[in-house]
Amino acid sequence: MANDLKFLVVDDFSTMRRIVRNLLKEIGYPEADEAEDGVVALHKLRNATFHFVVSDINMPNMNGFELLNEIKKDEKLKHLPVLMVTAEARKEDIVRAAQQGAAGYIVKPFTKATLEDKVNLILTKLGLK
Amino acid sequence: MSTGIPLSSAATTADLSQDVHQRLGILTRQLHDSLQGLGLAEKVKTWAGELPDAKSRLTYIARLTGEAAEKVLNNVDQAKAHHDHIAAETRRIGELIVKDPVSAVAKGHVMNFIHDVEDATQQIDTNLTNIMMAQDFHDLTGQVISKVVTLAANIEAQLLQLLIITAPAEPVSKPVEASASPASPTTFVVHEHPVLQGPVVNPEGNPDVVKGQSEVDDLLASLGF
Repeated sequence: MANDLKFLVVDDFSTMRRIVRNLLKEIGYPEADEAEDGVVALHKLRNATFHFVVSDINMPNMNGFELLNEIKKDEKLKHLPVLMVTAEARKEDIVRAAQQGAAGYIVKPFTKATLEDKVNLILTKLGLK
Repeated sequence: MSTGIPLSSAATTADLSQDVHQRLGILTRQLHDSLQGLGLAEKVKTWAGELPDAKSRLTYIARLTGEAAEKVLNNVDQAKAHHDHIAAETRRIGELIVKDPVSAVAKGHVMNFIHDVEDATQQIDTNLTNIMMAQDFHDLTGQVISKVVTLAANIEAQLLQLLIITAPAEPVSKPVEASASPASPTTFVVHEHPVLQGPVVNPEGNPDVVKGQSEVDDLLASLGF
């Protein structure tokens, strides 16, 4: 079941998208698509089935907070867990993400173990693992 | 004691020096008045505050790229050592099998070799993952570079505007073209958001930022997450 889950990785840096996708594959989640900002992500989320979103915050066009807000406002998408993976290390950003409904928060630079722990924890809480 | 300069020449030098000082004084006063009149004095103070921040951000880039290079080279060294070991073992086991295949299996050489290969591939896989993770500096430094470039462009634009405003009335050989909008010369861009954001380059002593994932987890736990 967990292996079939489809992830959407949102980050404006292609290197980081590639790293996160590779890590997800290594920890047992090979199904992943990517988007370079919130606008593209939202379009993909509304036109295909995803089970998990891993998103950066600082992005052009639509940032991670705006994307999170749009996801939580959308009846069809609001159930989606959103894990923020970002360089923003300000406490107010972490609190804001939590208040807006983020499922988790990882600060860059991070390790494979951190990503694995957070993803598995969120999936376990949701009964998807 | 003579300086070797004729009196008339010394007088001319003194006059010239006085004239230069006077002109510098006028220019300084003009610049000061312009900065004050255009409300730029505060801007200059802000730039003065932001430039050291930009400096520490560039230092952060140098540190991060240096660390990434070090991490990559260390992992390449380790992976090559594992690879060399397996290559050497492969040759050795190959020779044993050619010499006496039954003995090679019976004495456990082949099984030991298989375990060695398994261990080495796991180690090499970890090294490759580490090399991949080391590339995350591109994202972090990219964000920082973008902020510093924005700051530099902002200062350049403001200085260009100041140059246009304070340029002499008589035509110059190569007029400076303003790339800014045709708004009033006294209109200056005020950024809604601070110019420098992105990764925190100096978390030490700053209570508003977290220093690592464990602090993020603690903060979220305190919020009931």
